[in-house]
Amino acid sequence: MFLTRNPYTKGRLLPALLLLLSGCASIPDAVRELNADAGRIELEDAPFFPQQRYQCGPAALTTVLTMSGAGVSLPAIVDKVYLPEKTGSLQVELMAATRTSGRLPYVIDGTLSAVWNELAAGRAVVVLQNLGVAAIPRWHYAVVVGIDPQQGKVILRSGTDKRRVTATQTFLRTWRRGDYWAIVVLRPGEMPANVDQRRYFEAITALEQAGQLDEAAVAWQTALRLWPGSPAALFGLGNVRFALGRFAEAEEIYRRLLARDDRLLVARNNLALALAQQQEFDAALAEISIALAQNSDAALLGELEDTRETIKKMQVDTN
Amino acid sequence: MMSFRARGIVVRLMSVALICMGFAQTSSAGMIGTGYLIDSEARDASLARVEVLLARQDIERQLLAFGVDAEFVAERLRGMSNAELLALEGRLDTQLAGGDALAVIGTVFLVLLILELVGVTDIFKSI
Repeated sequence: MFLTRNPYTKGRLLPALLLLLSGCASIPDAVRELNADAGRIELEDAPFFPQQRYQCGPAALTTVLTMSGAGVSLPAIVDKVYLPEKTGSLQVELMAATRTSGRLPYVIDGTLSAVWNELAAGRAVVVLQNLGVAAIPRWHYAVVVGIDPQQGKVILRSGTDKRRVTATQTFLRTWRRGDYWAIVVLRPGEMPANVDQRRYFEAITALEQAGQLDEAAVAWQTALRLWPGSPAALFGLGNVRFALGRFAEAEEIYRRLLARDDRLLVARNNLALALAQQQEFDAALAEISIALAQNSDAALLGELEDTRETIKKMQVDTN
Repeated sequence: MMSFRARGIVVRLMSVALICMGFAQTSSAGMIGTGYLIDSEARDASLARVEVLLARQDIERQLLAFGVDAEFVAERLRGMSNAELLALEGRLDTQLAGGDALAVIGTVFLVLLILELVGVTDIFKSI
């Protein structure tokens, strides 16, 4: 093939290619900046689990779960998160495996200062990096165990590297391509360093849905210390107690909610069921009748009617 | 992927099936979940329950297809929240999986090497 060299494009191709591959988005100040008083921090005692091929996800998760005192082994975590045909692990599966290990996964803000705050609280942070570029990705999970603002370094447990020191700028670029995804694993009674109420409540609800009921109960009680009387947290605690079969305690919570707001129909619905579980069928039916009379929400109507039928059936079955 | 209409029919059939299977007798029947007070919009809770069940079945199939040992599938599904199940349904194949996999050749390799040298990437150091 005969090619002519075009003097116009010569010398421009490489920069253009670089720009194309690297993307031109810069890293926002809010992501990169640390507080002026943020000093060097490194969790030197953080354990290290060198990864097997493609198994950075299990290795990173095992590191933080071990730090939080969950008794887990790397092979057991591999069985929970590794996807052989994708030669990797999904973010959602790291979250799920955290829950089934009795810990609360919490997605922190994607900023260096949020990571620093977690390190200061003694928690290492699992991050998703793209070590390649958008067009040729190399997705990688690592654990941030230290930040050195003066030297401009981020310290990681990464792959087979026990102490990987990366320039902060390079780390931020690889992290940006992972959409600044970062999680910590919390003991049920622990709060994240910077807590977003809604995100935290959703995290506890997910723990509840994963069937980790004792852990969820502790987490709701922890939430109630920070936000006393929060209806969502009280409702969560009531529902967990119900699921644990502690119906009298669930009843007490639902009554507290209704004392604050007697039109909270979802609480009255569940109160009726808690009463029915204690064989108090007349009181249960009275409560559900009040709820049905107050209701104007079409989406809730079916639920309330189902509840009434359930209670009637329980009553018949008992007699 | 099912059409919306087909999905609606399946959801109705499943509702009936669930009742026939006696799910309504468990102690959680009729309970309204905590998410109701956290999600901003109210949803039809019984419909949502069936949709979660369908999503769970879909993801179970996909996990098996992606090589997960059958004995671990249930435990892996157990940890997922309802919102995660619904978000993942039908999309597992397009999800990114962190695992360091990389396959590049020739010129691409050279370009990556240059990107590495100028500090854009961090791809080659021992991971």
